[in-house]
Amino acid sequence: MDFSKYRIAFPALAVAGLISGCASSGVKNPSGTPVTEMRADERGFVAGTGIESQDLVMVTDKMARSILAIPQIANAQGVPHIVLEPVVNESRFPINKDIFLTRIEGQLSMKAMGKVVFLARSRMAALERERELKRSGQVTASADPNPVEFKGADFFLTGKLQSLTARTGAGTSDYVLYSFELIDARTSEIVWMDQAEIKKQGLEDAAYR
Amino acid sequence: MPPIARPRDLKPLKEGMKDFSRFVLAAVGVMLAGCATQPGRQVVLTGNLMIDGPMEIAYGPPRDKVLWEYRTAAAAMCQARFDLAKQYLDDGLTRLQGIFGPDANARKARGYFHAEAKKTFIGEPYERSMAYIYRGILYWMDGEPDNARACFRSAEFEDSDTENHEYAGDWVLPDYLDGLATTKLGGDGSDAFKRAQADAKGLTLPPYNPKANVLFFLEFGPGPTKFATGQYQEKLCFYSPPSPVRSARINIEALQVPVAPTDDVGFQATTRGGRVMDHILGNKVVFKNATDIAGDVAILGGAGTLLAGGGRNATMNEVGGGLLAAGIVSKIISSATIPAADTRAWNDLPHYLSFACLALAPGPHVATIEFLDPAGYVLPQLTKSVTFEVPADGKDKVIFISDQSSTPQKS
Repeated sequence: MDFSKYRIAFPALAVAGLISGCASSGVKNPSGTPVTEMRADERGFVAGTGIESQDLVMVTDKMARSILAIPQIANAQGVPHIVLEPVVNESRFPINKDIFLTRIEGQLSMKAMGKVVFLARSRMAALERERELKRSGQVTASADPNPVEFKGADFFLTGKLQSLTARTGAGTSDYVLYSFELIDARTSEIVWMDQAEIKKQGLEDAAYR
Repeated sequence: MPPIARPRDLKPLKEGMKDFSRFVLAAVGVMLAGCATQPGRQVVLTGNLMIDGPMEIAYGPPRDKVLWEYRTAAAAMCQARFDLAKQYLDDGLTRLQGIFGPDANARKARGYFHAEAKKTFIGEPYERSMAYIYRGILYWMDGEPDNARACFRSAEFEDSDTENHEYAGDWVLPDYLDGLATTKLGGDGSDAFKRAQADAKGLTLPPYNPKANVLFFLEFGPGPTKFATGQYQEKLCFYSPPSPVRSARINIEALQVPVAPTDDVGFQATTRGGRVMDHILGNKVVFKNATDIAGDVAILGGAGTLLAGGGRNATMNEVGGGLLAAGIVSKIISSATIPAADTRAWNDLPHYLSFACLALAPGPHVATIEFLDPAGYVLPQLTKSVTFEVPADGKDKVIFISDQSSTPQKS
């Protein structure tokens, strides 16, 4: 029997069998689509996902630049004191909310060159304890600890995260709106407000659908 | 005198046999290599999730990591080890949120020669929703109702891709809690309340009380399990065992608060409908059957042809041998095809979820939670006691109690 005739046929059959193992017929885009960051005004090919580090950097950079340009900061007589108020998360993504304000604070402190000062209100408990220790003479003080020297806020900086979500067989889309505002502590006026928006979309592998 | 076969005449036959042998050896080698697994550290299960879970997470197959994180988180919740539950849920949810795009394990799971269970486990939608619900409870416990609300919204989102849209995003509790969190944060939770009420079949949900400062999350009964049916175990099915507990009652001082179930996890498991993966598994079955039948036909045809040739007709022998070999290869391919559905399941989920919120004075309190059978009788062996302190700063006190919880608890 001359098997040499099947030299090509057998390997071809085997290869076809092996390759067919990777096939998934009848399923559209079985490998899924990787998440792609897009401009908010760009029409997406499907829909997106959550809040990530690149969003944080983009949003906080934009907000820091924007705050520095407003007259209340740029032309302020004296140095405005700002207190950070927690960001409200109205999106569908659980996040560490403080990270936004922490980065804006960091950016402003670096770029403002002393034009704004932040007050450490989140450390008030420790500050008050220290002041009491000084007042009671349990620790030394470089100045008279009795006068009230904790500064009051000129502005409150806060923000809000909101999202819209869509899901179809073609994928998932998430639009997140980041709004930040600077509120005059004396008048309650919103002296500055800015927004950033990001839309993302993605599709998971067919094995998870 | 009949011609005598000389050694030179047998050369093509010998070479052919040699080639065929090489091919068979190579094919067997490839297949064995495909079946090979690297020896990993074997985890010996003790039956105690708080021991097995961390071991499996550390040393088990990476594809099962999220499964064990889910299971261990639920077990940790029952033992009031909420920090541990948070850690596991955060890791599992991070994996879940990053599942977009190509995934090598998922690609293998779609292939004919690997089982669906080869893919990284992230759970079916009801399991993903439950992970978000638990994480939401833990966020609320930490005084972050907005992040809790985000989790409840994601829980509904995970349930939104149902085949039959009648059952899309129809969890009651996540919507109700979304509205409650919004109300407590000074917003308007009425839309979420309406959605929750629309899905709460036969149950009238209590209106939001922004002054309620103690939130009880209760769960009871055994949750759904998965099993496979079909010719090759390719059909994923769910079984929700009947729950011996049908309701609960919270006793605090003179207060007695009846608590009816708001969500049936078994119902959520079974109303998702077909998956895209079910079509892939269906294709695998078709392929397995087709190659099996083709193999049978080729083997029978080949054997028949060889018999008809009787060893005297060289052409028939060659054709018969070829068919026989092709049939064997086809049978091997068929038997190597694995259409079995993935039945890995988060097996310590509850059957029912429920909730109650109360306005209590700041200070210490003791609550007794009784679980009742379908006839309304207390199941005393399941009764739990929890001591807790309502904070004076206006923050909510969140209590999580399962019929499997340890007791007494101090929260």
